[in-house]
Amino acid sequence: MTASRDVLVVGGGPAGLSAAARLAAAGLGVTLVDEQPELGGQYYRRPSPAVLREHGDHRPEGGRLIAHVRSLGVDCLTGHLVWGVDDDGRTLLATGPDGTPVRLRARHVIVATGAYERTHPFPGWQLPGVTTPGFAQHLAAADGTPPGRRVLVAGSGPFLLPVACSLLAAGADVVGVAEAGHPYRPSLRAAPALRHPARLRELAGYVARLARARVPLWQGRVVNGAAGGDRVTSVTLAATVDPGRPLRTLDVDALCVGYGFRPQTELARLLGCEISADAVTGDAEPVTDAFGRTSRPGVYVVGEAAGVGGVHRARVRGAMAAAHILLREGSPAAPGPREIARLAAQGRALTRFTAMSDALYPSPARLQEVLAATLDDDTIVCRCEAVTAAAVRSAAAERAGGDLNAAKSWSRAGMGPCQGRFCGFAVAGLVRDAAEAPPAGGARCGVPVFPARQPVRPVPVETLLALGEQDGGDG
Amino acid sequence: MSAQTADVVVIGAGVLGGAAAFHLALGGHRVIVLDRGAPGREGSGTTAGNLHVQAVHTRRPGQEVPLDSARFLPLQRAASDRWNSVEAELEASVELRRSGGFTIAETPEQRAELIAKHAWEERAGIRTEVLDGDGARAALPLLGPTVTAATWCPLDGYANPLLTTPAYLAAAVRHGARLHPFCPVRAVERSGSGWRVTAGDLTVEAPHVVDVAGPWLGEIAALAGIGLRMTPVAIQMHVTVRLPETLRYLVQHIGEGLSVKQVTAGNLLIGGGWPALRLDPDGRSPVSLSSVLGNVAQAARVLPFVRDLRLLRTWAGPLAATPDEMPVIGEVPGAPGFLVAGGTYAFTFAPLWGETLRCLVEGKPAPVDVRDLGPDRLLEPAAPAAPYEEAR
Ligand SMILES: Cc1cc2nc3c(=O)[nH]c(=O)nc-3n(C[C@H](O)[C@H](O)[C@H](O)COP(=O)(O)OP(=O)(O)OC[C@H]3O[C@@H](n4cnc5c(N)ncnc54)[C@H](O)[C@@H]3O)c2cc1C
Ligand SMILES: Cc1cc2nc3c(=O)[nH]c(=O)nc-3n(C[C@H](O)[C@H](O)[C@H](O)COP(=O)(O)OP(=O)(O)OC[C@H]3O[C@@H](n4cnc5c(N)ncnc54)[C@H](O)[C@@H]3O)c2cc1C
Repeated sequence: MTASRDVLVVGGGPAGLSAAARLAAAGLGVTLVDEQPELGGQYYRRPSPAVLREHGDHRPEGGRLIAHVRSLGVDCLTGHLVWGVDDDGRTLLATGPDGTPVRLRARHVIVATGAYERTHPFPGWQLPGVTTPGFAQHLAAADGTPPGRRVLVAGSGPFLLPVACSLLAAGADVVGVAEAGHPYRPSLRAAPALRHPARLRELAGYVARLARARVPLWQGRVVNGAAGGDRVTSVTLAATVDPGRPLRTLDVDALCVGYGFRPQTELARLLGCEISADAVTGDAEPVTDAFGRTSRPGVYVVGEAAGVGGVHRARVRGAMAAAHILLREGSPAAPGPREIARLAAQGRALTRFTAMSDALYPSPARLQEVLAATLDDDTIVCRCEAVTAAAVRSAAAERAGGDLNAAKSWSRAGMGPCQGRFCGFAVAGLVRDAAEAPPAGGARCGVPVFPARQPVRPVPVETLLALGEQDGGDG
Repeated sequence: MSAQTADVVVIGAGVLGGAAAFHLALGGHRVIVLDRGAPGREGSGTTAGNLHVQAVHTRRPGQEVPLDSARFLPLQRAASDRWNSVEAELEASVELRRSGGFTIAETPEQRAELIAKHAWEERAGIRTEVLDGDGARAALPLLGPTVTAATWCPLDGYANPLLTTPAYLAAAVRHGARLHPFCPVRAVERSGSGWRVTAGDLTVEAPHVVDVAGPWLGEIAALAGIGLRMTPVAIQMHVTVRLPETLRYLVQHIGEGLSVKQVTAGNLLIGGGWPALRLDPDGRSPVSLSSVLGNVAQAARVLPFVRDLRLLRTWAGPLAATPDEMPVIGEVPGAPGFLVAGGTYAFTFAPLWGETLRCLVEGKPAPVDVRDLGPDRLLEPAAPAAPYEEAR
């Protein structure tokens, strides 16, 4: 099957939904694809029917946006994984829930694939009961179940606070929140946030909620290890300034630890969009302008796939790409200059807010440095291929010359089914640490990210055979 | 700028560069190895790693002339023997496996070719056995119903390319070779009776240059004013998720580009020389979906259990072919001390060519006669030396 439309949107989170709604309202034919069984993405993920009945909808605006998109006649292909790009460099390849292959073609493509959580291994990270905050949040919000009874929330970034609050709401005893940086003290750096009172109120609300529940908020602390038998039973914390030395041990039966998000750029890269390393985070990001335009004509990247910045920014970016497409299409419903100026101003304000917020937390480069120190040689870094920190370190030091991809080849880290989504950040840190000063005159992998390869997730051979048969059938 | 001297400058740290550096360093020569990037990331990091010992009869899609089996087979035989001592010499495991392989046929013509191939193999002293379809399925029940005949060769094998090149380079360094990654060669000039090579911040003077730059072999030769007819192409590989040990042998097709084997980690590797979307000499060549679909469909037809697997990843890598598809190895006439080695199946030949290059440098007889494999047959008027771009 080949679906050919005006616009194809990959990713049904806040960014993709916002774009799809505008475009469909203007009468364009839109296909929206998402690998999840339901639209919503990270932020508007739908609660299970049982949770909805009992607790109601924690984000009703998400439900309304999804209903709106559906009512406008957007062709919603849920349960469809987009895994590759055809030889024309534009047609996307997807697999439906039953394995049926689908080719997706459109004049405009919007990539809104979101971000994945930034994880970092530590001794004990593979124990049952250790999860990412995002996963814990989904369990809590969508199913109403916390990941354990006594939970420590740790890592870095603003979203640890709402996660801790969700866990409280789901009935967990949150033993504490351990933040690697010192963002929550009055500081001049935070002054620009005063221009974003709504955001500040939100944050203050979470802090107050945690205080009411007497949840301690430790700053300048990182997880240095976890222990347990069948399941995690204790976690040791260390000071961020001395990450190798344990400071205190906490009894828990669950640990949620994560360090924010990294843009999910595989599809953008397979489509040939230029990427660069973000100056602050060091993360690979597609090069985009205010409208989400990339180096490939007709290909837009919006939302967190273009750079992490929260739900509001994701929605504005989705709307900007839609506006640009409507202008290009000469649509009578295209926004006028005033609306575009208003959207663009919103976008700029949110970008400034992101920069300000980023500055409060340790940078990913600093985190890489701190966390690498907690990795003893025996810790498994890449769990798909069971590669230890020692193996990555020695591959990186011996002749890889600090090249991330060479270190991958020689250690197998990042070669498993997750394609380095989980270990990529840590491996990049280990490789950077192990490398000597870069020799002069040498070009090397400029952006510290594993190459994007098709399929972006494993695809059944049966699906490929069916795709090949379609080609035969088409002549 | 630091000027250094050496006995041999090896240009290219792929498997051929590694093997040459190892054998030369072992022989007491002062060796400098230069690579424009991280070592072992081009042909040698993307190769299928098959040790082709029975006659290679298939043509890569796009390959114009068939191999001259009568000439090629004795070389394969020698290369095969040479692999037996590699792990001991390198003091490292390269996951070498010599569990044998099948070349299969599906049509009557292919079957006839198998029988003809068997006769050449006998002549070259390579033991193979011809089986009919049922005989082949009895030996390897995983084979599908379309297989009508197969030859079995106990010598076919595999070595993990991601271990092989690093092991050669590590052994070379242990024996005193100096390796400079991220050091692109920009100039190769005559200097007295030898050569001056400029790369990155280095200048090296040496009586011998070994050009083993794989797909860039011709480009490096052109820097020295030598025109060689080589064709760089990019071909691709497909790998499935891991599975329990299922397939112990290498399976190839006599009439179509197809090779399948299970590697030590458990993944199934499917290749056969299908073309990538295009060759990108400055980065990773992109894979072609139609090649993915074609190659995977063949594999699933010949080995039906492949249907139930999931494809994990695909990639493409570059190699340089000669117009006659035969290897090239030897000194360039009129350019004393300038040696080249390359061509297809360079992985299988690496241990043999490493030793051969040492003999050529020392002016001693090579383990096999390679006089007819020299670059003289590839010479063409040198294109005006293009300014070499530094920022590649
Ligand atoms: C636990 C948690 C708490 C958060 N709390 C807040 C908060 O309080 N405030 C705030 O502003 N932000 C918060 N965020 C961030 C917020 O969720 C994101 O900013 C927002 O969801 C980004 O929207 P998006 O549309 O760019 O991406 P996403 O919402 O991530 O949507 C991307 C979609 O793309 C789909 N997709 C990806 N790849 C493919 C593919 N190959 N094929 C098909 N589909 C694909 C995914 O299934 C997903 O549905 C939180 C996030 C998490 C995880
Ligand atoms: C997908 C694929 C599958 C294959 N399968 C097999 C197989 O199963 N069996 C087999 O026998 N053969 C196979 N081959 C062929 C063979 O493996 C490779 O061609 C072989 O590894 C090449 O080794 P090499 O050392 O000659 O070149 P390469 O490994 O390509 O090394 C050349 C080196 O030269 C360097 N270089 C380039 N320009 C410069 C410069 N200006 N300065 C310094 N250095 C430079 C490059 O960076 C590179 O590292 C395959 C090849 C490919 C691509």
